[in-house]
Amino acid sequence: MAGAKSALVLCMDVGFSMSNSAPGEEPPFELAKKVIQKFVQRQVFAETKDELALVLFGTDSTKNPLDQDGQYQNITIHRHLMMPDFELLEEIQNQIHPESQQADWLDALVVCMDLLQRETKGKKYDRLNIVLLTDLNTGASADHLDVIIENLKKDGITLQFFLPFPVEEDEEGGGDADRRGPSHPGMGKGLSREQKNSMDMMKHIMLSLDEEDGLDQIYTFTNAIEQLCMFKRIERRPMSWPCQLTIGSSLSIRIVGYKAVTEEKLKKLWISVDAQTNKREDLKRETVYCLDDDNETEVQKDDTIQGFRYGSDIVPFSKVDQEQMKYTHDGKCFAVLGFTKQSLVHRHQFIGNQVIKIFAPKDDEWPCRPSSGRWHELKMVAIVRYAYDRRSNPQVGAAFPCIKQDYECLLYVQLPFTEDLRQFTFPSLENNKKFTPSDTQLSAVDSLIDSMMLVEENENGEQVDMFKVHQLPNPAFQRHFQCLHHRAVSPGTPLPPMEPWLKAALERPEVISERCQAPLEEMRKTFPLTEVEKKKKVKTSAQLFGKDSEEPDAKKAKGDEEEEEYNLADIAEGSVTSQLTHRIEQLLSNKNTQYYMKSITCIQAFREQSIEQGNADLYNSYLQSLKRSIPNRGLEVFWDLLVQGTISLFTWDCRISLKSFLP
Amino acid sequence: MAEWNAYYHNEDEEEEQEEGEQSGGDYKVTGRDSLVFLVDASKEMFIKGEDGQPSNFDMTMEVVRSVYTSKIISSHRDLVALVFYGTEQSKNPRNSFKHVYVYHDLDEPGAKRVRDVDGLQGDKGAQLAADTMGSGETSLGDALWCCANLYSDIKLRLSHKRLMIFTCRDDPHGDDSTKDRQARTKASDLKETGVVIDLMHMMKPGGFDVSLFFCDIVSPPEDESELGLQLEPCDKLDDLKKRVRAKEQKKRTMSRLNLCLGKGINVAVGMYATAVMTRKPSAIRLYRETNEPVRSKTRTFHTQTGSLLLPSEIKKAQVYGKKQIVMERDEVDTIKRFDDPGLLLMGFKPMEKLKLHHHIRPAVFLYPEEDEVKGSTCLFSALLMKCREKNVFALCRCISRRNYPPRFVALVPQKEEVDHGKVQITPPGFNAIFLPYADDIRTVDAPQCPVASQMQVNKMKEIVSKLRFKYRSDAFENPVVQQHYRNLEALALDMMAPEDTEDLIMPKVEQIDQRLGPLVQEFKDLVYPNGYNPESKPAAKRKTDTGGGAEKKPKMEVSEDELKAHMQNGTLGKLTVPILKEACKQFGIRTTGTKKQELLDALTARLGS
Repeated sequence: MAGAKSALVLCMDVGFSMSNSAPGEEPPFELAKKVIQKFVQRQVFAETKDELALVLFGTDSTKNPLDQDGQYQNITIHRHLMMPDFELLEEIQNQIHPESQQADWLDALVVCMDLLQRETKGKKYDRLNIVLLTDLNTGASADHLDVIIENLKKDGITLQFFLPFPVEEDEEGGGDADRRGPSHPGMGKGLSREQKNSMDMMKHIMLSLDEEDGLDQIYTFTNAIEQLCMFKRIERRPMSWPCQLTIGSSLSIRIVGYKAVTEEKLKKLWISVDAQTNKREDLKRETVYCLDDDNETEVQKDDTIQGFRYGSDIVPFSKVDQEQMKYTHDGKCFAVLGFTKQSLVHRHQFIGNQVIKIFAPKDDEWPCRPSSGRWHELKMVAIVRYAYDRRSNPQVGAAFPCIKQDYECLLYVQLPFTEDLRQFTFPSLENNKKFTPSDTQLSAVDSLIDSMMLVEENENGEQVDMFKVHQLPNPAFQRHFQCLHHRAVSPGTPLPPMEPWLKAALERPEVISERCQAPLEEMRKTFPLTEVEKKKKVKTSAQLFGKDSEEPDAKKAKGDEEEEEYNLADIAEGSVTSQLTHRIEQLLSNKNTQYYMKSITCIQAFREQSIEQGNADLYNSYLQSLKRSIPNRGLEVFWDLLVQGTISLFTWDCRISLKSFLP
Repeated sequence: MAEWNAYYHNEDEEEEQEEGEQSGGDYKVTGRDSLVFLVDASKEMFIKGEDGQPSNFDMTMEVVRSVYTSKIISSHRDLVALVFYGTEQSKNPRNSFKHVYVYHDLDEPGAKRVRDVDGLQGDKGAQLAADTMGSGETSLGDALWCCANLYSDIKLRLSHKRLMIFTCRDDPHGDDSTKDRQARTKASDLKETGVVIDLMHMMKPGGFDVSLFFCDIVSPPEDESELGLQLEPCDKLDDLKKRVRAKEQKKRTMSRLNLCLGKGINVAVGMYATAVMTRKPSAIRLYRETNEPVRSKTRTFHTQTGSLLLPSEIKKAQVYGKKQIVMERDEVDTIKRFDDPGLLLMGFKPMEKLKLHHHIRPAVFLYPEEDEVKGSTCLFSALLMKCREKNVFALCRCISRRNYPPRFVALVPQKEEVDHGKVQITPPGFNAIFLPYADDIRTVDAPQCPVASQMQVNKMKEIVSKLRFKYRSDAFENPVVQQHYRNLEALALDMMAPEDTEDLIMPKVEQIDQRLGPLVQEFKDLVYPNGYNPESKPAAKRKTDTGGGAEKKPKMEVSEDELKAHMQNGTLGKLTVPILKEACKQFGIRTTGTKKQELLDALTARLGS
């Protein structure tokens, strides 16, 4: 199945009727353009192998291979079948405008079919699809309708329609506009005769292709935009892992495993590029080795060997020796060590970052089911030795029987080794009178929990979960793609704010936050909470630089070296600013790029400190005086550096812009 | 150059960040932990138990050894010392104390020390101890004073200081009240400098009475509930080990966060990693001539001018849809920023809504931090009680560090449990279970297969019950890590061959076969038809795998034109990794990575220029 992809033609109406709209409504053209944009965006970032073509109709010009004898006029193939890229997105953004002609949408459909036929020849696709975005406002001739349907069926092409208005299934009663909700734009004037006519044809086509669900493939622009605002979730085809489950030496059962749950990462990492040229080739990273002496004598990589720490000892241990002496095993394995009570395997001790589902292989005629599933009545789990292959390290894990309505499988999760466990003890909470909550406090918590239950029964007695995390797309990916897309299509502008839907998805559901108001108020009253003032804590510049150990930073603790460097400037709170300016002046007395960089860091800290204290005067006046002194002190180079670094040092949300100081 | 290192360090960090987040075990350590074993070497310690039970001294040495080796593996930077008191001989830095024998000074444990402790075990060990140290007068005061000197002689910054006294004598000085008083004074001096003193008291005939003397020596337990002193004396090695292990590791928070229930209701909690995957440590580079470690420095410079680049002269980029998208370095951070670090309560769900298979990374443990927000413990405790009572978990949005994107966690209440010796085995608090997003769940098509008959099921049940055992999470050592350290040990001590490691996660096939007996055949007869061998197919396959490895590799060559065509259409990604590798070789591109994306990038860079 590798290499399976689909081919898709986006066929958009740009004719003049598409720009008509009721006052205050967005014209259908704009909506349709948005649908296309969002769709292509998703395709680009998902990096699927799917190919895409774009056909416009209602264009002033004509450009398609069927253009002959005045037929198939005003239809333009804008882009042939290929993988979508940013070029296409930019073209959609800048080159697609409403035009003044009208074209037969059935003609356009035929052009699309022809395109698919020509351009997919000799290649393998698992799906051919045409998407039509139109207001159906052109008189279409129904002459060849049957031939068209026949050909669609023959080539296995599926169709989707995107319209400015909804379609109702029982529309025989005539299209009186007031029966439909006023919420749909484009409905203001009711449908024209052409539209009604076209609608009937469209329905005819859709129902002939799929009698039952054909009409489900007709969408409205607004719905589509809502659904497309999310970037595609990362999809990976699970790889099968055939193996044998063994119990003892003589009982083995064929199984196949699939990774079912795992923490997905973005496929691409950031690469470093030169800030001026934006080219990565202009940068080179180099690692050198040096002795830990005063001169930091460099040594060649070839002159180094590898070693390991054994406590205080460092043991030279060559790769060859390591390879020879290392732990080896027989490879792929899923062997039962024994069975144990499920209650002895604690959920919080699951380790690793994946869950594997184990099935009986598809082609196996003989069931492994009895072994896989049915012992669940005993509330037992299998403890197994698992090794993916010969090169990977073996694990110990648990295989839980999992019985679902339509399948049975084992769920494998890794369990910790002795070395992995940290047995911490904590003071008891129950035996301590000082912290025992009173009855009033307990009942406050009780009602808080009741008011904040996310799972409720609806009127049909079904449980409704209003916050399903596993249906939420990873917000980090959504935001990542949103920013990348923004930067790609509108370079030079600051990053956009988070999408409102995403922000809302990360907050409490509204029902809950309303319902819990009163219980929360009660909690506030019954539980006194006071933040402990840390008097002794000295605010060091290290903290200003975001290395506050209390507030965890994404960046890990750096080497001691760096810490020391910043500790040079350990500064007592209160006099931070004067100390900083002193330090800056001190650094500036050394006319050297390294020291300039440090001064800039200090200035940045100074600025942050000023913002924190809500007092920008000191900072502003200092910077002004600094600027005045630049020519006298011959610090032009430094000033240039400072100004160049504007963006990286002074983030765009900063209230004080350095620009205002520029000469 | 130090400053430059600092800057360029940052960049490495950024790229490793994802991993850091995953392992969850990265603590910020500001100093070294230290641990002193103060062991009674009096005659009583050497008395063997009934039925050849090991002596208290033997048990202690066994424990010391296991702490040494576990420190070497998991925290080699910690300092450990071994001091005996009540000896005949004396050996201490200034030889100012009599009857105190410093066997190991406060230092990082190494291979030699492990051997030393080995040497003190068993009959031979007892003999050796008698020869070198002997048993003599006891002055715990002097011993404690000597230990205080050990601490003060250390030039490094110590973050956590602990002293464990191993003894079976509850009244070490007999009627000598001066010595008692002196010991008390020294103990309180030590405690004042931040040393935590624990008592590992062991069984002796007549029982161990803590209140006679030692209650004034040891540090009060954290929770003031006198739990510590109610402990029974240890008479089993396992108990002693467990007790020592519980104390020996300093618990450190991964981070301290606010658990926000609603506006203005913030409970301070600490996050602890209780299970962190121990991997083989990474190698360090040594200079061939002297075997001294070398430092590595990574620098970024301009290819044309050769000058070193400032951070502001570097930007970050990703390529999508044939377009390179460039961002400032700080923008890359801002993208990941959603909110300040903290836990935000979203609501509660019944326990059964927590799915077993919703597992993406090890859980963390939450415990209140009264020192940060007063009142936290009370609210936390109320929440814990009520969640347990109502059988619900709390769903929270968790931003564990600055500039980390949010994850959702299920806070599952955990009740405190103690064992028969009143040692805590599970602490009270919440386990935070990380929940997967839609992206993390893969669609797996479940294959259809026939339903098993009741007979087959029953037979399987029989098999299952035959192979029952009691699982303990600390029962399995990691054979890979163990083997690695045995190898190092052998090399460090010039041993002929590394000690054998027992692979504990190997199924005990013979035992299993024996226990199952005829059941296997009966089961097979029920499930498989005559002659069916489930092993047949894969076995055959394996043969070709190993035997014909060379032939299996198809020739993979793609012409330059084809590659260029792929690039034009953006379909380069369709090629398989081996083909891409081959192509890289063809063009003489040296690639460092083996990831597909890296290969693609390398090729695109080459062909595009």
